[in-house]
Amino acid sequence: MTLRILHWMSRIILAGIFFYTGYIKIESPLQFGAVISGYKLFPDVFHPLIVNYFPWVEIALGFLLIIAWKKIIRSVAGAATALILFFIVVLTITYVRGIDASCGCFSMDDKISPMTIVRDGLIIIPALYLLAEPLFRKKKPEAGSLAH
Amino acid sequence: MLRRLKSIMFFAACCAACTLMAQAPDNEAPGQILGGSAKSPIKIEVFSDFQCPACRELYLTTITKVLKEYSSKDKVCVIYHEFPLAMHPHSREAARYSEAASRLGQQKLLLVMKVLFSEQAQWGQDGSLEASVSKALPEDFQSLKKLMQDPGINAAIDKEVQLGQLKDIASTPTMFISYSGKQQKVTGMVSYLVMKDYIDKRLK
Repeated sequence: MTLRILHWMSRIILAGIFFYTGYIKIESPLQFGAVISGYKLFPDVFHPLIVNYFPWVEIALGFLLIIAWKKIIRSVAGAATALILFFIVVLTITYVRGIDASCGCFSMDDKISPMTIVRDGLIIIPALYLLAEPLFRKKKPEAGSLAH
Repeated sequence: MLRRLKSIMFFAACCAACTLMAQAPDNEAPGQILGGSAKSPIKIEVFSDFQCPACRELYLTTITKVLKEYSSKDKVCVIYHEFPLAMHPHSREAARYSEAASRLGQQKLLLVMKVLFSEQAQWGQDGSLEASVSKALPEDFQSLKKLMQDPGINAAIDKEVQLGQLKDIASTPTMFISYSGKQQKVTGMVSYLVMKDYIDKRLK
């Protein structure tokens, strides 16, 4: 029962985050474009592609986290983990390079700082849980058999 | 009957006053129009500082292309607002040159702005603004210097800074993009391709 609650909590929290972060990017495409420019990491030719499609990837991932059935939820969680890791790497590189840029995570004028990197790092926890969940489920009967 | 006539006359007078107000040029509105007109469907207001590197990048790589591709066809109106930041020692003086150049006409203003942004690294270090601006306007430089003595120059810059503060500007460049009655605030440099994509979608 607890595992089931944890499972659905992780899915709903992650989906909510992806819906929200995707929505704010779709709402202000130019500000998202400014955030992308601020990273000074991607060539200009890719900026319109990132601005137009990346928020929809987040929304689609949020949607999949809600509707995905048992067999594919691990793949969806894997994609979510990869996306969050990608964010963390981009933010860390930008911060280490000493660039004063916006994070573009939960609001468009949130400056990159160790705090924003740690906060994004925490988001990976529910994604990792979903990814590793079958391991917890398998261990349970083993523990029971040892007791006998 | 007389009452009805009075009402009609009052209504007509109101209509005439409204029309005159709408037609009157807004001389008091701060900012310099760099291209396009009030009739352009998209309006971009830029609050910028001549000594800020991101403002330089925005102007030289994005705004100049928008002016060439869209403002020349009256599709986008670009309005420039001086917003010199206190952290930059020469930006106020650069803004004074730009404000004075605007009084010589739009083309001369564009020449001064181009040289100020292009040679930012040079004058930003040694304050050699005069050398840069005189290159852009060799024939009009003396008139420009005379115009700069006008206290109205500083007053105009102060007015633009106050407008920026009213609009909650915390950093430069900050743009306000208006289209179809909606306005969005954009802080930071936006690449030309993203701006072009945004404009093209709205002009379709």
